[in-house]
Amino acid sequence: MKLLGPALLFWLLGAVYAQPVQPKSVDSPAFREFSQRVKEYVQLQKAVPRIKTTKNRKEIIAGRNALAAKIRETRATAKQGDIFSPAGTEEFTKVIRSTLQGVKAPNVRKTIRQGEPQTGWKLTVNGEYPEDLPFTTIPPTLLMRLPQLPPEVAYRIIGHDFVLQDLEARVVVDFIAGALP
Amino acid sequence: MRLLTTAFTLILGGQYSFLLAQDITLPVKSGSVRFAAIGDNGTGDPPQYQVAQTMLRFHEKFPFNFVIMLGDNIYGGKSPKDMLKKFETPYKPLMDTGVQFYAALGNHDDTNQRFYKFFNMNGERYYSYKKGNVQFFVIDTTYLDPKQMAWLEKGLAGAGTDWKICYFHHPLYSSGKFHGSSTEFRGLLEPIFLKYGVQVVFAGHEHVYERTKPQKGIYYFTEGASGELRPGNLKKTTLTEVGYDKDQSFLMVEVAGDDMYFMAVSRTGVTVDSGTIQRKSEVPAATTGK
Repeated sequence: MKLLGPALLFWLLGAVYAQPVQPKSVDSPAFREFSQRVKEYVQLQKAVPRIKTTKNRKEIIAGRNALAAKIRETRATAKQGDIFSPAGTEEFTKVIRSTLQGVKAPNVRKTIRQGEPQTGWKLTVNGEYPEDLPFTTIPPTLLMRLPQLPPEVAYRIIGHDFVLQDLEARVVVDFIAGALP
Repeated sequence: MRLLTTAFTLILGGQYSFLLAQDITLPVKSGSVRFAAIGDNGTGDPPQYQVAQTMLRFHEKFPFNFVIMLGDNIYGGKSPKDMLKKFETPYKPLMDTGVQFYAALGNHDDTNQRFYKFFNMNGERYYSYKKGNVQFFVIDTTYLDPKQMAWLEKGLAGAGTDWKICYFHHPLYSSGKFHGSSTEFRGLLEPIFLKYGVQVVFAGHEHVYERTKPQKGIYYFTEGASGELRPGNLKKTTLTEVGYDKDQSFLMVEVAGDDMYFMAVSRTGVTVDSGTIQRKSEVPAATTGK
């Protein structure tokens, strides 16, 4: 039993070390609500066949288009704020801005610049992220401070806007306008 | 005779210099792991095709088995026609010899490229594979989330190979004027590389070739000029061991036992860098030929 205490402590420390460091805000009610909405979104798309590995590029494009069409059909009335609720918007904006103004801010801003950020085009929910535009690199320091996402979706930065994108369908699921300073 | 030479040059264009291509300096040892590296290649423009042709010519003397792609595999449109023009057509002769491609994603790449069989990504944005005594880790730096970091650390910790090589798009060290070093990624990835004994790292993004001086014992190569090119964009700094920004280029690498031989070649077949890295249990040491 004497050995159990240190062993348990060692195991716990190991478990903590193995987990990515997440700030307290990731556990905030607003982020929990966001994660739940994302989960529901992904669940909604589960019925649609996902893309399979193939040598035929046409099949990949066809799969992407079918998925995008299905998303638009099932979310025909979707609007900005459906996933990023007002409380979520506030929390995300706070975390994004503090990351861009913190100690590591110069490196973080450099990462965004390196991704050749895109400006000058209007985002719409259910709209397509144009395939010929590059992706702005998302600073990993920022990703560590935000709720983790399932593999079907990803965060994107477009100009000053913060976007939730369906990866396979390239559809804009929701966005926060002006989240970045 | 001069007229004949001129005519020959005009007919063959850039390919004329292939006739002057230097011999390879790689040993082509039996059982070695042989590969080429290209980055920022997917333009569909003539220089990409010319690099591919030079690769094919060198493949005759140095039969590499696979090619690592350092991101920005397909620029601009991603239609089936684009895939044909920017990947399948230029590299078909190489693929016909059995050469396989293992792609990393760049910021210009559609994440759906992971479903493209020819890129061998098996539907994953980041993945790992083993060739001989080398374990390769392919990282998606455009979206380096905590889950991927945990995957990388676990994979590196469990890799039992002599060599651990990582490749991805954004260079941790670069003397390129356009982007420079990706310092945020360096802060996160370098400690993991050091902890688990990664010896060599390949990246793209900057449209030049550069080999840095070893940084904390790790060798960093940037090869982002296999299609795109920013001539004169390399600001040689204290980081730079060898750099080349005058023409497109690609790399050839051979890992044989504890030695890794490398050779960077220009679009026209000129050797712009070569050397050997010796694997040691702690810090690898290099001797270079150029």
